[in-house]
Amino acid sequence: MAEGPAGVIIGGWPYVITAYSITAVALALNIARLAARERKADKNKESDSNG
Amino acid sequence: MRNVATGIGLLGILLLLVGSYVGLFVAPPERHMGDVQRIMYVHVPTAWIGLLCSTFAMIFAVAYLWTGRNRWDDRLVGALEISVILGGLLLVQGMLWGRVTWGIWWTWDVRLTTSLIMFLLFAGVLALRSFVEEPLRRATWSSVATIIAYVDVPLVYFCVRWFRSLHQVQSSPETVHSSMIIPLRINAFAMLFIAIWLIAWRARIESKSRGAERPPERIEIQGAQNG
Repeated sequence: MAEGPAGVIIGGWPYVITAYSITAVALALNIARLAARERKADKNKESDSNG
Repeated sequence: MRNVATGIGLLGILLLLVGSYVGLFVAPPERHMGDVQRIMYVHVPTAWIGLLCSTFAMIFAVAYLWTGRNRWDDRLVGALEISVILGGLLLVQGMLWGRVTWGIWWTWDVRLTTSLIMFLLFAGVLALRSFVEEPLRRATWSSVATIIAYVDVPLVYFCVRWFRSLHQVQSSPETVHSSMIIPLRINAFAMLFIAIWLIAWRARIESKSRGAERPPERIEIQGAQNG
């Protein structure tokens, strides 16, 4: 990683964007997983109550 | 109750968008780390709320063992899952930050190692749950395993003060510029609200899935009556 004259790190934006993107994707995938799981649980409950 | 939890979750998502925008585009770059320091606005809230969710999991585990009520086991699953997700994210965000500032993806530093152990321990508790089919045994074993796994959590927090570490010690409002505190706090509340929402949601699903299973407390009562 490049450094400026006073030892300041220059750049690094791809790492920053990757960190935020991975966080957003992980949370979104978990929300989608829970939604699918709830649909499945509701379906099972419905089929149980129908006999 | 469901609508309240969803409202809290949506507020959390909104706050996360605002906090991330402020952290990425409004807050100034740090004096030495430059723009890379912006990872802090997502990394530190992930760490705080991850440790908090682990603490929730430990409390739910104790409450289950104390009362034997299913609702605590339902919440335990939710807290364990979000702890593992945030623990995994914490490691990945830290590796990205470390690659730029330390020049390495990973080192067996005490903070990094205890964080990895914490992630593996709580993931192990979830794996244990999936192997045990009998509901009472599953709930009891995962509660006991959670309490044992929790021993690592104070170590993760305090190790940077107790041992020599490459990782910096915890910052305080006195050591961080006010322009950096705002996005940090917004994202911390955002993560907290999202975590509460996801724990409540997962607990509700667990409760629904339990419908076909025989509730543990009834087994206990019947056992007591027969005995």
